[in-house]
Amino acid sequence: MLLLTAATACSFLLDRYVSLTSQAMIYVLAVVIASYKLDWIESAVCAVAAVTALNFFFVPPRWTFEVENQEHFIALGTMLVLALVISHLAKGVRRETELAHLNERRARQLQALATNLSNVNSPADIEALGHKALDAAFAGPCSLALTRDGRELDFAADLDPAVRDGMRCCVKEEAVLGPGTGRWPGLLAWYLPLGERGHVTGAACVRPALAADEAGREHAQALCALLAQALWRLRVTASMLAAQSEAQRQQLQSTFLAAISHDLRTPLAAIVGAASSLQTQRDKLSEPEQDRLLGSIVSEASYLSTVTENTLQLVQLTGAAQALKRDWESMEEIVGAVLARVRQRDSQRRIKSNVPENLPLVKADPVLLAQLISNLLDNALQYSDGAIDLSVSVEAQELLVSVKDRGPGIPEAEQKVIFEAYTRGDQSGQRGAGLGLALCRAIALAHGGRLTLRPRRGGGSNFVLALPLDAQQPGQELNQELP
Amino acid sequence: MTLRVLVVEDDREIRALMQSSLSVEGFEVQTAVSLSEASALLRHSPPDVIVLDLGLPDGDGVQLVREVRTRHSLPIVVVSARHQEAQKIQLLDAGADDYLTKPFSVGELLARIRVALRHRGTALAAAVTVHELDDLRIDLAAHSVLRNGEVLHLTPTEFKLLARLVRSAGRVVTHRQLLLDVWGPEFTEHTHYLRLYMAQLRAKIERDPAEPRHLLTETGVGYRLAAV
Repeated sequence: MLLLTAATACSFLLDRYVSLTSQAMIYVLAVVIASYKLDWIESAVCAVAAVTALNFFFVPPRWTFEVENQEHFIALGTMLVLALVISHLAKGVRRETELAHLNERRARQLQALATNLSNVNSPADIEALGHKALDAAFAGPCSLALTRDGRELDFAADLDPAVRDGMRCCVKEEAVLGPGTGRWPGLLAWYLPLGERGHVTGAACVRPALAADEAGREHAQALCALLAQALWRLRVTASMLAAQSEAQRQQLQSTFLAAISHDLRTPLAAIVGAASSLQTQRDKLSEPEQDRLLGSIVSEASYLSTVTENTLQLVQLTGAAQALKRDWESMEEIVGAVLARVRQRDSQRRIKSNVPENLPLVKADPVLLAQLISNLLDNALQYSDGAIDLSVSVEAQELLVSVKDRGPGIPEAEQKVIFEAYTRGDQSGQRGAGLGLALCRAIALAHGGRLTLRPRRGGGSNFVLALPLDAQQPGQELNQELP
Repeated sequence: MTLRVLVVEDDREIRALMQSSLSVEGFEVQTAVSLSEASALLRHSPPDVIVLDLGLPDGDGVQLVREVRTRHSLPIVVVSARHQEAQKIQLLDAGADDYLTKPFSVGELLARIRVALRHRGTALAAAVTVHELDDLRIDLAAHSVLRNGEVLHLTPTEFKLLARLVRSAGRVVTHRQLLLDVWGPEFTEHTHYLRLYMAQLRAKIERDPAEPRHLLTETGVGYRLAAV
C-alpha cells in the first residue's frame, strides 16, 4: 500500500517530465518490490491495484477507469503477469533460503550434540543432553526414555500414559512410528528408537510430527542416532572396564592362591607335625619337649590367623571398591591399642613410642589403620634386633606415622617390589612379610595417603605412613569446660 | 554352688572345646546349636552366663540378647569372627556385656566370663561406686579421682564419662552407649566428642597417654576401663 502511494506520488512529481511508459515502469518497480515480500494473493492484489492506480491517475482519460488505448491494456496485463511471476519466484527463493537456514541450524545442532556427547560418562547425562537437543530442534513437547537393564524403559514420573505406550511399542518394533513412516500414521508424534535393531537402548517422542515433513523426521532420527551411539559407547567402555577389572581380579586371585599355598602350608605342616607327635608319642616325650610342641602349635596357629586376616582384608580392599568405615579417629588411641597388642610379643620392650599430645583427628577406618601399624611393628620385631622407634608427627597438612628399625635394611633392588602382593625378599626359607606390606600400602592408598620406605643412615629401614589431614577439624563447637 | 554357662555355638569342634575347658574350671555347661534351641533352654532353666556365637544358622542373635535383657540380668559374652564387626557392635549396643574375637585362647574366654560374672546383673546389681587399680582411685559417691593420692581435677563431662566407664569396669562400653549415657540420644553420631574428651581424660589419668594402662581402646568398638 505504502509502495503504491509512493509510486503514485513519484509519478505525479515526474508527470511533467516523463511519458506514461516511465510512469508505468515506476509502478512495475513498486509491484516487483512488493511481490518480493508478499505471497502470491497479496502480490496479485497489489498488481491489480497498481494497474488500477496507473489507469485512474495517469492513463488518459485521467481520473476515470476507462482505457483509451488498446496498448494500455497490454501494459496492464503485462504488469499483472509480471507481479505474479515475481511473487512466485521470490517465494521460491524465500523458501529455499529458509530451508537452507533450517538445514544449517540442524547441522549445527547435530554438531553441538556430537561434541557434547563425546565427553559424557553416564546415561543420565546423555539423557539430559538428548532432552535439550530435541527441545531445541522441535517445538515439542518432546520426551526421551532410556532402557534400564533388560528391556524396561525408565520413564519420567509425569509422562503421559499414551506417550509411554507409544515408546514401549517403538522399542518393541525397533522402528520409527508415526506420520509419514507407514507405521501407525494416525499418531500425533513420531516415536523413534535409540539404536539399531537388536540394540535398542531407549526411545524418543518428537512433536509436532507432519507426514510431509521428511527432513524433520530425518533430523530427529539423526539426533537419536547420535544419542544411541553415545549410549553404546558407554556400554562398551563399561564392559571393557569390567573385563579389565575381572582380569585384574583373576590375576590377584592367582597371586593370592600362590601366596596362600606357600604361606599357609608351612605353619600348617608345623601344627600337624607337633600335634601328631603329641598324639602318638606323648608318653615318650619329656615335659619340656611337650611344652615346646604345644607352644609351637599355638604360635604357628596365631601366625596362620594373621596371614588369613591379612589376605582377606587385602582381597576386600583391592578387589571391590570396599567402602571404608571412616570416622573421626584419634591416632593416639589407635597407636595405644596396637601397642597393647604388640607388647605381648615384645617382652624386652624394644618398641619406643613417641606420640605428641593434642594431635588432630583423622577421618579413617580405625580397624584398618590398627592393622597397618601392627603389621609394620610385627615386621620390625621379626626382621631386626635392637630398638624400634614408633613416632607420630604432623607436617604440612599430613599426619605422619613412622616405624624405624636398625635391621639389615632392604636392598635397593627390592625396595620397589617389597609392597607388591607377595614378594619374598629373602630366599633363605625365613617367612616373608608375604601380604603384610601389600596390605599396608593398600590401606594407606584407600585412605588417600601413602606408605613409603626410606633407608636409614647407619642401617635399617624407616616405613612412613602419611595420611592427609582435613583442614576442617571437628569439635570446634565444643567449648572447653573448666574443671 | 556351681555356676551354669550356656554355650550357643554351631561349630561342633569349638563347642566341644568350650564345653571341656569350662567343665574343667568347674562350670556346669549347657550347649545349644541354634538361637531357637537357646531360647528354649533359657525359658526352661536360665543359666548364670551366656556365651553366644555370631553367625548362627537361624539369625543374628540381636533378638536373643533383647529377649534375655527383658527378663534376666545375666551376663552375655559374644564370640565373633573378624568380619562380623558390625553385628558384634549391634549386639553390644543391644545389651551384651563383652566380646571375644575368633581365634581366642581358652585363657581369654575364662577371663571374660569371670569379669562378666563379677559384674553380674547389669541391671539389678548394686552400682559399682569405687574403682581402684594401681595408682588410680575413683570414688563416684565422693566425686573424687586420685592418682598417687593426688586429687585430679576433672570437668563435669570428663567425670560423667569416667563414671560411666567405672560402672562397667573391665567390660567394653560401645561408643554409642557412652554418647547416649553421657551426652544424650541426639548425640549418638558425634563420635568426635568421645575422641576429644577421652584424649583429655587420658592426658590427666595416664602416665603415658600413648600407652594407656587404665583407659583402654577397643578399636572400632568402644572403650574399656582396665579392672586387672
